[in-house]
Amino acid sequence: MLCCQRGPAWHGEQKLIILGIDGMDPQLLKRFMQEGKMPNFARLAEQGSFRLLASSIPPQSPVAWSNLMTGMDAGGHGIFDFIHRDPKTLQPYFSASRVEGPKRALHLGSWVIPLGGGSAEQLRRGRAFWEILDEHGVPNTIFRIPANFPPVPAKGQTLSGMGTPDLRGTYGTFSFYTDDPTTAAGSVEGGQVIPVQVENSKVTANLIGPDNTFRKGSPPATELFSVAVDPLESVAKFAVQGQEFLLREGEWSDWVRVEFQLIPVFGNVKGMCRFYLKQAHPRFQLYVSPMNIDPADPALPISTPAKYSRMLSEEAGEFHTQGIAEDTKARSDGMLDDQEYLEQAQAVLAEHRRIFDAEFPKFQRGVFFFYFSSLDLNSHMLWRLTDAKHPGYDAALAAEYGSALSGFYQQIDQVLGEVLPKLDEHTTLLVLSDHGFAPYYRSFNLNTWLLQNGYIKLKSDANSNQNEPWANMDWSGTRAYGLGLNGLYLNLQGREGHGIVHSGTDAKALMKEIKEKLLGVRDPQSGLSVITRVDIASEVYSGPYSQSGPDLIVGYNRGYRAGWKTILGAFPPDTLENNNNPWSGDHCMDRDLVPGVLLSNRKISVGAPALTDISPTILAEFGIEKPKDMMGRSVFQPDSTRF
Amino acid sequence: MFGSHKVKIEGELLDKAKQCADACGYESVDEFVLHMLEKEIKKVLPPDEGSAPSKDIVKKRLQGLGYIE
Repeated sequence: MLCCQRGPAWHGEQKLIILGIDGMDPQLLKRFMQEGKMPNFARLAEQGSFRLLASSIPPQSPVAWSNLMTGMDAGGHGIFDFIHRDPKTLQPYFSASRVEGPKRALHLGSWVIPLGGGSAEQLRRGRAFWEILDEHGVPNTIFRIPANFPPVPAKGQTLSGMGTPDLRGTYGTFSFYTDDPTTAAGSVEGGQVIPVQVENSKVTANLIGPDNTFRKGSPPATELFSVAVDPLESVAKFAVQGQEFLLREGEWSDWVRVEFQLIPVFGNVKGMCRFYLKQAHPRFQLYVSPMNIDPADPALPISTPAKYSRMLSEEAGEFHTQGIAEDTKARSDGMLDDQEYLEQAQAVLAEHRRIFDAEFPKFQRGVFFFYFSSLDLNSHMLWRLTDAKHPGYDAALAAEYGSALSGFYQQIDQVLGEVLPKLDEHTTLLVLSDHGFAPYYRSFNLNTWLLQNGYIKLKSDANSNQNEPWANMDWSGTRAYGLGLNGLYLNLQGREGHGIVHSGTDAKALMKEIKEKLLGVRDPQSGLSVITRVDIASEVYSGPYSQSGPDLIVGYNRGYRAGWKTILGAFPPDTLENNNNPWSGDHCMDRDLVPGVLLSNRKISVGAPALTDISPTILAEFGIEKPKDMMGRSVFQPDSTRF
Repeated sequence: MFGSHKVKIEGELLDKAKQCADACGYESVDEFVLHMLEKEIKKVLPPDEGSAPSKDIVKKRLQGLGYIE
């Protein structure tokens, strides 16, 4: 088959290693280097180069990594925010990929037989750098780069990362089983609380799988499991589809494979999850992780070649396939405490390091890209334990866990310590991050502000439900709305389903007016500007998709971010409010305030490197001319030496 | 509310519908027509009125990203 053929033979000796460290912050890195916690980074910075790396507009991971991999901005690759919307319906969706069930079906009694399978569609546009390397026969391995689900067809080895759903088609839904009547049953953010009864020391419950499109109404597929709780000791015996294991209270299981039968004999789908026995007595509390796609037999495409995910699981053990593996929502919901969250997050990093240790020694030539998520997710969750000014700061917790974040940084330093001895005269190393980090003290509810300033109109009889997206909207009187973490859209005639703003002069004047007002917003609590930058899309984006995203991109000051509920179109009563969520650090701000890092064993010669320079740099390393639609340039002088 | 409704298709339109159903692998003209209707309704109506997932389902899918409540 054509897709399996190699490109033109490439015989060079050149090697390029890229460590992609999501969220590594230059200020924290400098501090930890000065404190002697990161000796390998200190050596690389001293003997090679260490520069700030300009992030994307806005500095969100799907946008930023797309800038990196395509060498274009959002106008070229079409990813403007984590959340996009359908302009006609205002239905939000994850910007980078879409998973859909089968379109056609046959109805037989209570069964619905799908005709053809469901599909996963990648929404990023533009060619990724490894597709161009493939064309020139340069071997490559690309591990978990964000915004590559399903992975684009490739000749090299790739594994999808951020954007890969769990088996239920969500970006992570945990289950929490308890007989505690004070824990409300039902949906919580990112999870589900399932009430159980302990009868004769035994619990029987269902594991929740994917929606069963073979059944009318598509109810979720389920599989029974049982737990025998020791009446005296804090230990329980689990039985899941013939697999048995013991857990003590406070103990995590290994990965447990689960097969969901969708239709007798013919249709089944495989997933895997981990169990955590939070409490055996007096109340039963069991956390079960989101049901991950099984890498040994994936229900959706997650790697190239398709067998690569299975090979990885055979070589390095099972691993999270879900794009964002750290279960931040279970911590925010209080189902896991800080200690338990940290154990889960450590397990994720341990998996990545095991795979790195299995894959890196095999690297001979071409490009080796390896992505680490840990610093990003743990900066989000642990910032409040390092910053006494944060509303969520707790001195006792800070004393216990305040060093956890630097511990994750140190582990990344250890990874670099494995790489540095392998560098030779043919090998270039890039260590980079997509953005830095900042505290998230206060939320700005953009839609509430737009409502209070007359840009959004509600129906006159409206009894506004503060948590309901677009509740009681009067679109005939609404001129602008916020959606996503940094996006502000005009309600444009001919584009939005009920648009009223004329494009051209009217739209430009409205954008200018809103921009000026937003830049004038001050926090009465601190007197600080809440918003330090507002970009007009047509002025900062180029490329065929420039008109597809928000009209204005709101850049928040350090300490501020779009409020939790405004992102999907709700109207909390206050424009500004404290952020008391354990998710306490963020980067969805003014991109100049949260730059990433770029380190190399070569001298970086350009003045202000940006993410869009990385693809041209990679191609130049192999003598490949960058395509015309790539914006950047190589960060190196052609003849610069390596240490 | 969930009653049925019959639409008569005849002549050239029926012939063309048959051709399309055959060419695209549909089991019958009925199945082809239903699928086309579903597709067009999805384009025109807002999600609650069509077959798109509900706001709650969309929200639940996205919550795992961490950035929204």
